[in-house]
Amino acid sequence: MYSRAYKTIVSLPPLVWIGMFLLLPYALMFAHSFWLVRNGMIVHHWGLRNYATLFQNPLYAEVLFRTMRIAAGVTLLSLLLGYPLAYYMSFHAGARKDLLYQLVIVPLWVSYLVRGYAWKTILGSDGVLNGFLQYIHITKEPVSFFLYSPFAVILMLTHIYTPFVFLPLYASLEHIPRNLVEASHDLGAGWRATFLRVILPLSLPGLLAGATFAFVLTLGDFLAPLLVGGPSSIMIANIVQSLFGTAYDWPLGASISVCILLLTISLLFLTEQLEKKWAYQ
Amino acid sequence: MSGKRTKRGILVFAGAVVATAILLCSCQKKEVSLSLLVWEGYADPSFVRAFEEAHHCKVSASYMGSSDDLVAKLRGGSAGNYDVISPSSDVAASIAQAGLAEPLDLSKLPTYPQLSPRLRGLPLVKANGQTFGVPFMWGPNPLLYDTTVFSQPPDSWGIFWDSKYKEKISVWDDLSTLYMAAQMLGYDKPDPSQLYNLSDEQLAAVKQKLLALKPNIRKIWSTGGELTNLFENHEVVAAMGWPLMTNQLRQANFPIGETIPRENTTGWIDHLMITKASPNKELAYQFLEYMTQAQTQKKVTDVTHYTPANPGAAQYMTDAEKKGLHLDDPDAYMQRIYFWQDVPRRAKYIEIWNEVKAAP
Repeated sequence: MYSRAYKTIVSLPPLVWIGMFLLLPYALMFAHSFWLVRNGMIVHHWGLRNYATLFQNPLYAEVLFRTMRIAAGVTLLSLLLGYPLAYYMSFHAGARKDLLYQLVIVPLWVSYLVRGYAWKTILGSDGVLNGFLQYIHITKEPVSFFLYSPFAVILMLTHIYTPFVFLPLYASLEHIPRNLVEASHDLGAGWRATFLRVILPLSLPGLLAGATFAFVLTLGDFLAPLLVGGPSSIMIANIVQSLFGTAYDWPLGASISVCILLLTISLLFLTEQLEKKWAYQ
Repeated sequence: MSGKRTKRGILVFAGAVVATAILLCSCQKKEVSLSLLVWEGYADPSFVRAFEEAHHCKVSASYMGSSDDLVAKLRGGSAGNYDVISPSSDVAASIAQAGLAEPLDLSKLPTYPQLSPRLRGLPLVKANGQTFGVPFMWGPNPLLYDTTVFSQPPDSWGIFWDSKYKEKISVWDDLSTLYMAAQMLGYDKPDPSQLYNLSDEQLAAVKQKLLALKPNIRKIWSTGGELTNLFENHEVVAAMGWPLMTNQLRQANFPIGETIPRENTTGWIDHLMITKASPNKELAYQFLEYMTQAQTQKKVTDVTHYTPANPGAAQYMTDAEKKGLHLDDPDAYMQRIYFWQDVPRRAKYIEIWNEVKAAP
């Protein structure tokens, strides 16, 4: 149908793109993770020293596990917020559907940083929330754990990643043939049975895709702890950032990055398998 | 026919564009350009423009995020892209020793003898009997405090550990916080340079000291603007900061005080250096000379509020300005400041700092 030359020309730009901006950087990162820093210079001595450091100093594993806990929390909260919203919009919003859809999307057009600073204004000691609580005499002193705490990090990340969870969920709910829902009702199933046995199983691929988004994006986040996190809220990406920046220990930073990358890839692989399995049920 | 004409028209137009581009490029090439890689505030138009006009050149500046950023860029092979750099005292020595900077011919810098003898006498930028940089601006990392909370200036960094100020203290996301804790433990006695060469046991003690501080820390700040915000929003009442922030907060009418506690504090001396790879060395010498002249130093001070290396800048200042910058008695002020030095085990220090930050 198409000539060989045509196919080559068409596939060349994406191949060059992938090679230059994906494979080459990853290869460099992988190579760096086996090198060392000696007297402030990166020397190309191959070895597993960096990986040994990662396992010997509990710092890295602890921060990684904390990051995963935060990511799990953010994922759960985003699902709890995103699912009812997507469900309502798909089945009950009617004519307001388009407007609501736009309202969910709009925050995505606002810069991440602006949203972070907005949370600072809301949660701070002199902030909107504390001002309100004191105005209605619920609290006397500003509540300090609102800002610069793990709570603030989880809140901000949930706010930012809920649309990412919502979008695939909404898409998968929209794809459920409505006659299946009707059939379920006709056969005498109540709304609970219809939801649990028809809608939920059919929306699982979307749910999984959304959850993966929230988890993986949180795993690599370093701005939220920097903006609204407390003195103990650093996440694994903050350590990578300090190793590539102030510490000038690119090899150790690269070895952590390789670990995170492997974790992410295995996670993506796992969810893809699950999605496939559930999609054909 | 018309198609052919259009085609020819496009060709002529394209040719014209290319010709203009070549002309523009060659014009710009004629004007020499001096590239800086410096701290923010060190290439302000208020003093750089006069230099550009006097020397018919263009000064283009990139800003460094940190000392380590500068070293990474120079080592990363882009040294040839910059003519002049402004390393602080913590990395100046290693840049000089690594051969990344040009040894200076001081006879080309007539203003050099006017600069503070104390700063010139430091071994920081000297190696093998040669001088690699000129002192430019300096300052401490003082204790900043909210004067509505402290009627008297706190006389010790120890107030950071006072349980009265739970979640009301901020420290810098920098090794300077480690040095401060080491000073509290007395590791600066008798030799302050021990701060930059702490042993493993000492670092472990510093870590414990900082862990004990954590309940009082509201936020670890990483940019100047962040700390001024923390004060303005009443999130914190005392912090380690820079003179720049004191001045910014005063301009915003915030009741801020600045002091150096009895344990003294660390500080920095920024130097100007010419890179070894610079293709414009003569122009770079003229720039160093211009930047250290008393009048220019006063203008840099207006922008940054740092203390000038040329005491002669004082003649252009009011008494209040002089006092604000401690030029009325710079030597006494300098006695209180342990200037940053090269930290041979920087990676270890940073690992300890990360462990402190990661602790629950």
